[in-house]
Order: sequence, then structure tokens, then C-alpha cells
Amino acid sequence: MIADNLVVDARTGRRTTWGELVQRAVPRPTPTAHVVERSVDALPAVAALKDGGELLVVAAGRLDEALAEELRTAGFDLVAGDEVRAATSPRAAEDGRVWLLTSGSTGRPKRVGHTLGSLSTVTGELAPRTWLCPYSPGTYAWWQVITLGLGVPGQDLVLVDPADLDDWLTPALEHGVTAVSGTPTFWRRTLMRHGAELQKLPLEQVTLGGEPVDQAVLTQLTEAFPDARVSWIYASSEVGASIVVHDGRAGFPVEWLDRDVPGRPRLSVVDGELVITSPHHGTDASGAEMTGAVRTGDAARVEDGRVLVTGRLDRDELNVGGSKVSVGAVRDLLQSHPEVAWAAVRGRKAPLVGTMVVADVVAGPGSDVNADDLTRWAAERLPEYAVPRRIKMLAEIPAKETLKSDV
Amino acid sequence: METLDRPAVRKLMAEVVAVQGKTLPDDDTAKLADIGFRSLDFSELALRVEDEIGDELNFEAAGLRSIETIGDVLDLLVEIQGQ
Repeated sequence: MIADNLVVDARTGRRTTWGELVQRAVPRPTPTAHVVERSVDALPAVAALKDGGELLVVAAGRLDEALAEELRTAGFDLVAGDEVRAATSPRAAEDGRVWLLTSGSTGRPKRVGHTLGSLSTVTGELAPRTWLCPYSPGTYAWWQVITLGLGVPGQDLVLVDPADLDDWLTPALEHGVTAVSGTPTFWRRTLMRHGAELQKLPLEQVTLGGEPVDQAVLTQLTEAFPDARVSWIYASSEVGASIVVHDGRAGFPVEWLDRDVPGRPRLSVVDGELVITSPHHGTDASGAEMTGAVRTGDAARVEDGRVLVTGRLDRDELNVGGSKVSVGAVRDLLQSHPEVAWAAVRGRKAPLVGTMVVADVVAGPGSDVNADDLTRWAAERLPEYAVPRRIKMLAEIPAKETLKSDV
Repeated sequence: METLDRPAVRKLMAEVVAVQGKTLPDDDTAKLADIGFRSLDFSELALRVEDEIGDELNFEAAGLRSIETIGDVLDLLVEIQGQ
């Protein structure tokens, strides 16, 4: 069902409805991966799903050449604006299939299959709300908010892009936002940047998801928005929205572990890893249902009667202020510079955005390229959040790094 | 532990904007929004300060505040060093 709710582009103020988007939608007959810079760029493709088609949405900053080739080999045309790179193994679309990308155990993104139905996990009637959606397009959290606006009456959306998060409060006030779902990094940045002004925004619902949620940020939000319900959600592409906690505390009660309740996910901790068997599961890349226990790749531990979910067991994907960055894509870009011999890219803890991209670089023989040159060069080729802001020039490639294929 | 005074932090801030081809205004009341100094720039500045002083900054000590001007940034980064 398409609810004719409003969708507002926070950057331009442009307002439209899902009904209008559906009317204008032009379905593509072949599986399509839409590579988008902005949330609103993906909406026509989402609306076109009403008439079938097979869709994957990926943020431009997340797509490296290896992923692009994987998708084309898997039958996807890559569409970025007017540019189309055709599939190398064309096939017919599986009507209604929606693909999400998640990090596999090897660190390479893998595809998880859903439908608009399996992504829509909200049940029952909801009070009318205007939601701010600050998530990176194509992520599970983004799809959660998008399907809420698409399918649940009275749920309007204001889409703000990760690049515009410094200024989200102004459009939120202008468009009457009453509910905001964001990552803990998003909320930390908001509390630090807009602390005193937040009381102007009469939120009814504050939701956190997409990253580990700690007690400090929950407490700060409860104090900043005393009239709002503060909730955190554990969700992923593979297991859907599996844990929802409304009591303002980090973690979930240990009593929820290993409990079988019809229609609800079964939660376990195995060897320090959160394991979930979920009714909201997706399919794997071959289309097989992931009905069994899924190792989430997230670390979990029990403390004071609560099960705390503390972070990824692997660290191959960076989250810069809510935007996902592929370490490999940035490293590939730096290493494509004609005067760069070697580059290693990693995340470094930083205020406001949580993590920043930093790099170690070795220049080629005879080159005098410096860190500022490379930052400027990268800034012309990468989304702002993916640009390495601190580049350390090394005299030679570290010996231990030459033994690794992916640093 | 070494600490940076306000002029030293201001110099680092000028370096951050210089990479983008911009000049930092002399006026501490200049609005960050007007000079295009965004969260990523602030974060980069914090890392530069950390590299200079050889220690991690503790932003939890900063408390709730609004950061709108060059002066707000300088006040914060001078205040939280060593906390």
C-alpha cells in the first residue's frame, strides 16, 4: 500500500508526495543499482517498485570499483544520474526484490535480499508524525524510515543528507519535525553543536540506531528532550529490526536472551557475538531465505543485567558522521594518484563526526607531493566525508604492511 | 603535557581553512556558517590539536553548548586541553 504522505527535501525545501512520485515513476525492466549522492535522488526508483522491478540503492561514497564490478557481474545495471554502466551478465529483474548491502565476514559488502514488505516492520496504528531521516541512502535504517513514509498513513518525511547534518535543525523547525531517528554519532554531534537550541524542537519521538548505543548519549537525550520517548533499535539488513528498547537504558534486559516468543526474534550471545534468529530476515545473494540463526558480527556482553551491544567485530567499513565510507575505495583513489606509491587508510576517533578518514602515504620516487596536495586532490574526487583530512607522509612502506593484502 | 594557547589553536584553524583556499577572518565573532567551517573541519582541527599536544581531547568535559563562532571553537579547544 502506498500512503500519500509528504516527502520534503531539507536542502531545497521542495515538497512532494509519494503519490506524485509513483505517478511519475518510470520502472526499469532490468535489475538496477542506483548510485546516489543524495537521499532524494533514490526516491523515484523506490516509487517505481510499485510496478515491479529489482532495486539496490548505494551511496556514491560506498561504491569502489571492485563492488561496481561485482554488481555488474551479478546482473545489475549501475545507474548514476544519466550515466548507465550496463550489467556484464544481464538477466531479468526479480519483480519487487530490494537489495541491501552489508559488510560480509571478509569485509567485502554482501547483498541481502528484501521486499518493501519485509522492510516494513512497523505494525499497528501510529500517531501522525513528521520524521527527519538523516541516514545514508541504501542502508537498512534509511529503508526503515523510507518504508515508514511510503506505507504508514500520517508519517511524513524530511530527508536531510549526511553532508548537510550541520544544519538539520533549521529545516526540522521549518517543516515541523516531531520525530527524529539518527545514529548515536548524529545525536552526539547534535547535542554538542545545538545543545541550547534543541528545546525549540518539540520532539515526541527520539530514536537511535545504526551504531552501538551507550548510556551517556541516552541520558543526554532524555535530558534534552524531556517530553519525548527515547528509544533505541538494533537492526541490520540480515535480521531486520530485531531489538527495540524504550526504557532509556543502554542494552536490553538479559531476560530477553534465549527466549522463544512467536513472531519475535530469538536473541543469543555466542562467543561474545550477538546471534539472532529473526522473522524479519532477508535472503542471501542467491535468494535463499536466511531463516536460521544469523551471526551478526556485532560484539555483545552482559553487564549488570543488561546485554550491551558494543560494536562491529570487524572494522573494514568506516562511519563518518552517519555516512558509510569504504576504506578500500579511499585507498584505491589515493593509490591512483600518479605520485603516490602506497597508501593505507583507516578511521580515527574524532569529535562531532565520530570517526574521520586518515591515511598514511608513501610518495613515489623523486616526488615532492605533500599531504595538503593530496587532501585537495582527493577532495575533487570523493564525497566530502570520505576525504582523508590527516595524511601522514612516510618515507617508506612499513615492512609489516607489505605482508597484508588489505590494511 | 604540552598545551596550546588560543593564538596557537587559531593558527591551526587557519591552516585547516587554508587547505580549502580560504582565509580565516581575524574577527572571533565571525559565524562558522558564514565562513563554511563545518563539522568535518572542526573535527580535523581537533585532530591537529591532539597531534600537537600528544594527547586525546576529552569532549565529554565540554558539556552542552552551542558552537557558532570562531571564538566558540577557540574557547572550547583551549578549555578542554588537559581535562
